[in-house]
Parts: sequence; C-alpha cells; structure tokens
Amino acid sequence: METSGSAKKGARRLAIALAGLAVAVGLAACGSGIEGPVEATGAKVELEKKATGNLVISNWPLYIDKKTVPNFEKATGVTVEYHEDINSNEEFFNKMQPLLSAGESGGRSIFVLADYMVAKMIKLGYLQELDKTAMPEVAANMSKALRHPPFDPERNYSVPWQSGMTGLIVNKELAPEVHSICDLFNPKYKGKVDFLNEVRETVPLVMKCMGIDTEKATEADWMKAIAKIKAAAVGGQISRFTGNDYAQDLTSGNAVAVMGWSGDAVQLQIDNPNLEWRMPTQGCMLWSEDMIIPVGAPNPTAAEAFMNYVYKPEVQANITEYVNYVTPVEGVKEVLLKREPKLAANHLIFPSASFTKNCSPTPTLEGKEEKNVIRAFDEVLNG
Amino acid sequence: MATALRRRSLAYLLLAPGTLWLVIFFVIPLYFMAKLSLDTEIPGTLHYHFTWAWSNYKEALQLYDTQFVRSFIYAGIATLLCLIIAYPLAYVIAFKAGRWRSLMLFAVVAPFFTTYLVRTLAWKTILSNESPITEIFHAIGLAPSGHILYTGFAVIAGITYNFLPFMVLPLYASLERIDVRVLEASKDLYASASSTFWKVTLPLSLPGVVAGTLLTFIPAVGDYVNAEFLGGANNRMIGNVIQSLYLTQSNYSAASALSFVLMAVIMIVVFIYIRFAGSEALMGQEAV
Repeated sequence: METSGSAKKGARRLAIALAGLAVAVGLAACGSGIEGPVEATGAKVELEKKATGNLVISNWPLYIDKKTVPNFEKATGVTVEYHEDINSNEEFFNKMQPLLSAGESGGRSIFVLADYMVAKMIKLGYLQELDKTAMPEVAANMSKALRHPPFDPERNYSVPWQSGMTGLIVNKELAPEVHSICDLFNPKYKGKVDFLNEVRETVPLVMKCMGIDTEKATEADWMKAIAKIKAAAVGGQISRFTGNDYAQDLTSGNAVAVMGWSGDAVQLQIDNPNLEWRMPTQGCMLWSEDMIIPVGAPNPTAAEAFMNYVYKPEVQANITEYVNYVTPVEGVKEVLLKREPKLAANHLIFPSASFTKNCSPTPTLEGKEEKNVIRAFDEVLNG
Repeated sequence: MATALRRRSLAYLLLAPGTLWLVIFFVIPLYFMAKLSLDTEIPGTLHYHFTWAWSNYKEALQLYDTQFVRSFIYAGIATLLCLIIAYPLAYVIAFKAGRWRSLMLFAVVAPFFTTYLVRTLAWKTILSNESPITEIFHAIGLAPSGHILYTGFAVIAGITYNFLPFMVLPLYASLERIDVRVLEASKDLYASASSTFWKVTLPLSLPGVVAGTLLTFIPAVGDYVNAEFLGGANNRMIGNVIQSLYLTQSNYSAASALSFVLMAVIMIVVFIYIRFAGSEALMGQEAV
C-alpha cells in the first residue's frame, strides 16, 4: 500500500513538474519577439577608452582577405570571432529579428547588411547610433559619394563595407550577343539564363529594359516588370533564381548568361577567361553593404575600432585585392597603383563616373508597396 | 488491488518521459503555431497580435495552391518509384542474398553516413548539363531540351534517391519475417511461382508496403531540400514556400497557416490510405 502511495505521489509530482515546464515554455514562447509589444530603443554606443576583449563579427562568405583580421588582432589585442554566416539579407534578418526585438544581438557586435536592410533596421530601432569621434579614419577616407545616403543622411548608424554593381555575367563564346537585360529574354537562350533572387536588383534591371525610370517607378511599374519576369519563368526561359550560386551554373555550363555581381565576375574570370561582366546597355544597379552595430551588441568599442581599422587605405587595399568589389575608401587606388597596377586599372573595381552613368541606386521600398512587391516577386520565385 | 494500482502507476511512469517530450516539443509549439496562424501584423513593426484572422488561410492557399498540389504529385510519384525499386531489392536481400545479406543491407544504409545535403548536392553534378547521364537521356529522347537539372524530373529523382532506404528497410523487415514453410506449402499445393508471389508473399509483406510508403510519402511531401537544389523556377514545393514566407517575407502568419493546412491534408490522406489498405496491414495482423 505504502509503495503504491509513493508511486502515486511520484506520478502526481511528475504531472506537476510537467505542467510547470509547460507554463515555462509557454512564457518563453510569448517572449519570442514575434508576438508582443513594440519597443524601439534609441541606444547610442558607449565607448571605453581602449578596445579590448572579444569582438564577434557576422559577414558574408569570402568578403574579407585572410590578413586583415589577424593583423587587427595583433594591432589592438582584441580577439575576433569572425563568422561568415550571412547568405541573404532577409534570411539573416529574420533569424536575428526575435533577438533584436528583445534588445539582444546574439553576441555579435557587427553585422554587414545591404542599404535597404539597414534602412529598415534603423526604422525599427534595432541599431545603435555610432560615436564617430572614435573613427577618424572613417571620417577622413569615406568616399564622397557615400557620405549622405537618403536612409542615413549623416552616417550616424552605418559605415559602408563594400559597394558593387549588378549587371550581366555572360559566357562570351556561348552567348556573345547578350548586352542588355532584354537579351536575357531572347528565346535562343531558353533555359540557360539565371536571374537573381533579389527583388530590389532583378526587378529594377528588368524595368530598365522596359524603359521605366527605376527612381520614379510606381507600384504598377514594379508589378508590370514582375509580370514580365513571371512569364519568362513560367515559359522556361529563366532556368532559376539564384544568389551567388549562379557561379556554379556558369562554370558547369548550365547557364550561359546571368544577372550577376561585379566582384564575382572578376574572380570567375580568373578561372574561366570566357566569362565576363558586362554593363547592361540600359545601365546597372549600384548597391552598398554597411557595417552596423545592433542593439545589445557587446563591446561596441572594439567594433568601432575595427570599423576604423578597415578604413585605413593600406588595410582596405588588402581587402579590395581579395574581394574585387568597389571600395568605399579613398586612397586605395593609389596604394594599389604601386602594388598591383592591373587591379587599379580595372573598371569593375574602380569604375569611372562615365562607366556608371546609366546606373541607378538600389531603390528602397516602403510600407504597403514593399509588402505587395515582395509578395508578388516571391510568388514568381516559388513558381 | 495494491498491485494493480502499482502496475498502473508504473505504466504512467514509463510513459512520462515520452509524454513530456511530446508535450514540450510538439503540443505546446503546435498551440503557438496555431495561434500565430490567426495573427495579424501591426503594420511596419514585425509584431503580431491575435485577431482570429482566418483570411490568412484563405490568402495563403489562393497564392500557393499550385505548389501544394505539386508537392503531393512529386511525393506521390517518388513514393511509387521507391516502391518499384525497393520491393525487388528487399525481396532479393530477404530470400536470395544468402551470406551477402548483411553486406547488402549495409549498402542500403551506407549513404546515411554522409549527410542528406551533401548527397543532394552530388546529384547536382550527376544531372548537370555536361554529365554523361544527361547525354544518355538526351540521346534516347528522355530529355528533349538537353537538360535534366532544374526540372521536376530532377526533383523527383532526388526525392526517390534520398528516401529509398526508408522504403527498403520496412519492406525487408516484413519479407524476412515470412515463414519459408508457408511458401513451400504453396508450392506443394501446385501453385506456380507467380501465383505464390501474388497470393502469399505479397499479402504477407503488406505491412512493410504500408509502413514503407508512409515513411517515404509523409516526409517527401514536406521536403524542400531537393526542390531547392535540383529544381528550377517552376519546381518549388510547399516546403520552399513555407521557408521563404518565414525567412524572406517575414510573413509568419501565412507560413504557420500553410504548415497547418499541410499537416491537416497529410493526416487526411494518410487516414484514407490506412482505411483503404486496412489498419491490420499496418499493424501486421497476418503475421499472427
């Protein structure tokens, strides 16, 4: 009798523990950040005198050379954990968002994300305002064209990491006459064409081919371009929508012409001289990605020290040499002229004003329009 | 009476870990997902509040019905192909392999030693435009456009390959359990080899067929890795849609709504299938 009683007690205790756990999990789920009140934080970084300790950075793969991080560690004594864990602006943002809305950064102090995403995060109150006094190199060397972007007019929240151009990458032998985005719709290349899965680059490029001014485009214009892309996707003209992985399709011959990024083209060309980046006749899209310090980021002092460090022209020159994108730092061309004159002369890395005269900045979409456009484009991506 | 009570408490105690696990990691998240699927976003904030928004279901289904139907078609074809490939294989392993049996079973399971993702990526190379496989298919007229990669065919091939062991193992288990004397009896009674198979072996292996098809079909419907890597713009499945609703569009409500519909439809399909195939087959009644 007694044993059964204690077993019963044990069962009851278990049931109570189970209920307790259920409540705990329920509460945790409530605090997941998806549901709950809106709280914008207007935090500003608080700096210490000297950068020390540990710094965690999230960046895109292959977006920095092998020397810069160890050199920075040697120069400052800060230890850096460098994660190449960003593969898509949206995906990274959506994975971080529940943390950010709870005022946490997942231990990371620097993210590198595209302009439009930075704009969105500023609005949501997910970023810390920078203390620019600690970044004299940034103040001195930032490219003039990047100093006053509409989403962050005084660069209070963001420091450009790299810029680039979105245009065409073609196989010269197999698709010699592709010079315009319109040529990607040529039935001759049916099923051998990749488009980018980035709505803010793919759709404006197609709008350009349709003669629509991307900077004045209305929602109806966006929808018109999306309809054109949809027809091509359904008809089998477009093989698939890619991110960086168009590189594989080009090298394996699955695609002969794609929408692609300038820096990738420089690297692809080294392995396959038949591939080349082409400026679309109607112009390219220009974009930048920025370093930002999210809310709740530990060690902002070290984060700002890093931002400042990569804005030294000699340091930046190493990065440019490796990533082949357009650098936001002035003085790099001079350094490379001595070190690697071929790169300094490459117009994909140092584009002249006349080369990019028809190019447009990536548009920022807002509110209801953003929702509708993204939904329509996503419907195309998901065939 | 004391012993009966004790026995019952013991049963509860034994059930507790499994129940606890299921409640914490399935029932509670499911409740929150159900709630989320009826939420509406407070515009521009990425925060949601509960509004009984059944319209989430309607909109999601209207937008993505094609992918929904496509997922069931792809998974259905892949399951059928798995069955066609796996049955003879399991049959040979169970009855004809002799001392090679363990080795063959090992060969079936061996691909699991590499991850799912790597195996799927390997198929990308196998089916690329310049691979000999593609050229052979092209030559015999099965790939008229000259490419297989980024078509529905590639997605189905990938799913079939990846889920094959889930079909082979239950089939093998049920075939191997068959008493050889029953087959001998059939022959003694002058049944031909084929009628022995159709009248004795196949019915006795039905529990394996049912278990195998369920183990293949259910995960295959929700699969998104194969469509992501091997499919093109027109071959995305419902898993891809749910993933992109969560991670690209930040539309958590629509994603939850679609997940729920998927779950419900799978449950209905499975229920009908089991009724049709007979639950005794699933439980292995004949083996008694």
